[in-house]
Amino acid sequence: MKIIFKIAILFLVVSLFVFLNLGPVSPRVKNFFYSISEPAQKWLWEKGARLSNFFETISEIHPALFEKWGGVRSLKNENDLLKLEIKTLTGENLVLSELKKENEILREALEIGLKKDFKLIFAQVIGKDVSQDTILINLGSKDGVKVGLPVITQQKTLVGKISQVYENFSEVMLVSNKKSSFDAKILAPYQTEGFGAGSDTETYGIVKGKGNFKLYLDLIPKEKELKDGDQLVTSALGGIFPPGLLIGEVKEVKKSDVELFQKAEIKPALDIKELEFLFVITKW
Amino acid sequence: MQTSNGVKNIFLIFFSFYILFLLQTSFLAHFNIAGMVPNLILISIILINFFEKPSGDSGLFSAVSGGFFLDMFSGAAAGPLSFIGFHILIYLLIAIFIKFLLKKHVRFF
Repeated sequence: MKIIFKIAILFLVVSLFVFLNLGPVSPRVKNFFYSISEPAQKWLWEKGARLSNFFETISEIHPALFEKWGGVRSLKNENDLLKLEIKTLTGENLVLSELKKENEILREALEIGLKKDFKLIFAQVIGKDVSQDTILINLGSKDGVKVGLPVITQQKTLVGKISQVYENFSEVMLVSNKKSSFDAKILAPYQTEGFGAGSDTETYGIVKGKGNFKLYLDLIPKEKELKDGDQLVTSALGGIFPPGLLIGEVKEVKKSDVELFQKAEIKPALDIKELEFLFVITKW
Repeated sequence: MQTSNGVKNIFLIFFSFYILFLLQTSFLAHFNIAGMVPNLILISIILINFFEKPSGDSGLFSAVSGGFFLDMFSGAAAGPLSFIGFHILIYLLIAIFIKFLLKKHVRFF
């Protein structure tokens, strides 16, 4: 009798999981679950951002820990503001240099009209997946989000693209996800001497995710010179992302005599600690 | 009396794992160390299984509930491994393995 009871329970459990995994059921179950947890998760995400910021402040000002709080804090605030401004400006700068080039091309071919700006929807982060580099945002198919749309921050830093859409929520696959790979353009600083003087050199490569917020650059021809600190932006080649979005900067170039291409580590411009509000690009 | 206690226990485990899950996905994501977010759920499942009697079953139940929450939140970006039940299976295996080790190879006085 007991064995029959156990088998019946096992059967029920297995059929429950089969039912939960059915195509039309699973997104609904998840959507329902997310809507229950959303308020708590939003609150925790905001508090986490604030607290981690606080600890960061402490670690940054460690030598001055016991000095007057007021002075140090305002210094930190100012520093934060300036950092933000630098980020915004580098992003803008890159976009402007892209635009300048585009403008020149457009002048040559007068028929083409001006390119429109992005069409954006505002989104809020709810949580991060434990094992992979994906985050959940509070926009879903109701708000017109579709799979494959790019996601950026307010500083025009590339975050990732939508990988799954539920009714009220969607999943964003971060650029550092192992499955993410796309074309990128390396903008070397303005050259003043040697070959190619007076112009920006352009190199194209492929940015791949490594997991755990790490990125690397692959398939760069060997003869191209890469330097630490070279800026990376998205290129229009793949058609996945709009061109000119900031990805990060080159950190460590790896050249090998055996391999045909060179690789490089990238320091991503995206920082999970600073992610709170995002924009989904619906049109570009 | 025994069963009501058991049910209470189960609810307590389920609820506390829900809180752990919320903390892990939304709060601890900001405190990653070199990109790694601490997996509170896995740690507590291992601890519970390790410190309860090998004949007890709250360790198994904690594996099921912890796995369930992670399943709910693990994204489709994982591909074929993102079905609901994946984490439950893995964590159940871990719990059973720990219980097996304790039963077979550890002597209690």
